[in-house]
This record gives sequence, structure tokens and C-alpha cells, in this order.
Amino acid sequence: MATLYNLKVTACDGVFYDGDCEILVLPGIDGQLAILAHHETFTGVVEIGELRFKDGEGQWHYAVISDGLITVYGDGSVKILAYSCERPEDIDEFRAQEALERAQEQLQQKQSRIEYEISTANMARAMARLKSVSRGK
Amino acid sequence: MASTKEIQNRINSIQDTMKITRAMYMMSSMKLRKAKQKLADTEPFFIGTQIGIAENLAHFPDIRHIYFDNRVEDEQETIKKRGIVVFTGDKGMAGAYNHNAIKLAQERVKQFSKDEYKLFVVGEVGRAFFVSNGYNVDESFRYSSNNPTMHRARIISEYLIDLYNKEELDRIDVIYTKMLNSVSEETCVERLLPLKTHKFLKEQAQEIANDTEGASKAAKELSEGTKHVHSINSYELEAIQNGGDSWYPFYPSLSTVLERLVHNHFTAFIYGAMVECSASEENARMMAMQSATDNAEAMLHELSIEYNRVRQSQITQEITEVIGGAKALKSKKEKGKRG
Repeated sequence: MATLYNLKVTACDGVFYDGDCEILVLPGIDGQLAILAHHETFTGVVEIGELRFKDGEGQWHYAVISDGLITVYGDGSVKILAYSCERPEDIDEFRAQEALERAQEQLQQKQSRIEYEISTANMARAMARLKSVSRGK
Repeated sequence: MASTKEIQNRINSIQDTMKITRAMYMMSSMKLRKAKQKLADTEPFFIGTQIGIAENLAHFPDIRHIYFDNRVEDEQETIKKRGIVVFTGDKGMAGAYNHNAIKLAQERVKQFSKDEYKLFVVGEVGRAFFVSNGYNVDESFRYSSNNPTMHRARIISEYLIDLYNKEELDRIDVIYTKMLNSVSEETCVERLLPLKTHKFLKEQAQEIANDTEGASKAAKELSEGTKHVHSINSYELEAIQNGGDSWYPFYPSLSTVLERLVHNHFTAFIYGAMVECSASEENARMMAMQSATDNAEAMLHELSIEYNRVRQSQITQEITEVIGGAKALKSKKEKGKRG
């Protein structure tokens, strides 16, 4: 059995996961990134997308994560802070579909730069949610 | 002495007011329960981001960047434009809650001329106050403080960071109310931008470490625990003490991480502050309404005593009159018999 480390994922509506982890795969800016035990200390960016990790019993967990930051500490523990983090089964598919359509509609209108960025981020989140819901079926 | 009719009217009007304050008390206690739940859910995230940014800043190399406000052109600026975000409620009747935030904001801007600061007010009460008193308020910044959502926090923070990047603002402070426990709350000031440099953190930590009496400005601000504009907060002190000098790699690059750190921290802070504020507002309103109901009860008690007294004296007077009349009649009759 591989060495375990402590993983803590905090989202704005509470602590999503706090416990042992064997391997963590997360969406990075230029592709996926896997973190095993004894990773070097670093701070990095987490993109909107799907996160998965194997817990102490070898069970895989999936989650949809919105953008945030990850930090690996000197003692090997890993902390992720993100706006939201949800299990695929908790996702409301209709709501995500609606959010996607709303964002697409907004993107077709003339918008300020801020509005444009918010809409694209909303769209990315909705797409990530929908993707993970459809994969689970 | 007032007549029974007058006292009766007063008692009725107080009873009506008491009905309203009691209903408002119930409403805000319900809202408080919801807001408290949200606060408990958000707290790990809110504290987590503050710890996160403190740790990251403690490891950041000293660079010149707009987010640290230490580029060469920043150092040559003679006027620093301050943006102050003030969180107030949408409604009054919340005790000193709105007043405290407004007073703190007034204190902060009083030494500046109008082009040196700009207020960004969340909540109707504060905005109405600052606009009508001729403060420099951003009129297009209109957000309600009810039902905090992440979406609103995102819009607010993007708007402010955009202004900062356009160099229309040189620093951004936030004034918000933190709920310490169910009876006390405190108005806090926190500086969001520019970020504190590694060098600054280290100097401040050193100053606090050297200062055993706790007399310096930095140590004072730290021990008071609420206003960290010129100094560091406890998270930053801890981060520096836990090996702040060691080097961290940044993925994918320093500037991307810095950019994300600022956006995330800003949004998280605004969201956290909104949640804290809505909980404190409902708490303040609940306590205000509770004491209003208590006061009404005390007044009713006094008035009912007075009412009884007045009624009693009226009855006594009537009896005296009747007896007096009867006596007069009797004596008149006796006089007639004799005569």
C-alpha cells in the first residue's frame, strides 16, 4: 500500500473532505496534475474541472471543483481552497443546464470585460458539472 | 393627572408597537438562525483563505508588482487614492449596527480631501447616509447586503480589482462587522490591496518579537485584533514564525499564482464579510427588538399602575360626592322637619 497523506478540501459552503489520501488528480492550468505522498512543497492554481482522489481504503472519490488554490506543506499535507466543490451525485443537472444556457446567451450579447469574464467562468463551471454528471450515468 | 381615557389610549398604542417589535424579533431570530448556519459553513473557508494568503505572502519573493503597489511609478505617486468598502445593512432598526460601520468609515476618511478617497457602500442605509452628507461615493456601486451569494461577491470583487488595475485606486480597505459571539460584535478594518510584501511582514514580525511590552503600533493592532491596516494579523505572524523564509516553487508561474491569489482572496473575503455582516445585522436587530419589547413591557407595567390609581381616585371622588350629596340632602330634610 502506498503511503498516505492528509488532504483537506475546503469550499465556501463548508469542508468538503478532510482525511487520508493516496493519490490526488486535479485539473491544472496546462492539464491534469497528480499528487502522491512526499510531494515537494509548492503553491499552485486549480482550474475549473473534475478532481479525483483515492482515500485510505483505496476508494476513488470524484468531485467537481471550481477554481482555487492548492498548497502542499512541508509535512506532506495538502490543502485545497476553492469556491465550490461538489460530488457528481449532488449536482442538479437542470440547474447546470440552465446556467450553461444563460451563460451562452449572455456571451452573445455585448458585454463589458468584467461581465465577459464572469460569463465565461460561469459557462466553464456549468460545463464541468454537466460533464461529470453525464459521465456518472 | 391624565384622565383614564388618555392613559387607556397610550396603553393601546404601546401594545400595538409591542406587537410589531415582537413580530420583528421573531423574524430576525429566524433569519439569524439561517445566517448563523451560513456563517458556520463559510467560516473554514473564510479563515482558510486568510491563512492561505498569509502563508503564500510569507513565501513570496520580493518583486515589484502592481498588487504590492511598489513599482517605480507607484513609488513616485504623490496622491494615493483609497477605496473603502463599507458594509452596512439595507434596513435600520438594528441598534448601533449601521451606526458603528458608518462612524468608522467617517473616521477613516475625515483627514482626506474628496479626490483622495472613494467609498463603495454595500447596503441601502449606509449609501443613503453617505450620499446625502456629500461624501465621495461611487454611485454605480449598488449592492444589497441581504442574502449574500458568491455571485454577488464575485461581481463586487471583479469590479474593485478592475478599478485597482486601472490605477483608479491605489489601495482598498474593507470595513465590516464581525460577530464575536451572540452578544457582542465588532467593526473591523482590513486592507485587501495592495498585498503586504514579504519584507514588510518580516519586519513587522520582528518588531512584535522584539517588543515585549506590546507598546508599539504593530503589537497594539495585533493584540486588539480588529484593525490591520498598518500592521499584520495573527495569521501572518504565525506564517512568518512557521518558517516564512523558505523558498516555495509556484505552479504554473509566479504571476499566475499571484493573480489567482488576489482574485480568490478578494472574492472570498468579500463573501466572508457579507456573511459575517448579515449575521451581525440580524443579531443586532434581534437584540434591539428584544430590548424594545422589554421596554414596552416596563412602560405598560407603569402605565397600568397609574391607570389603576387614577381610576381608583376617580371612584373615591365619586363616592365622596355621592356621600356628600346624600348628607346634604339628609340634613336638609332634618332641617325641614324641625322647621
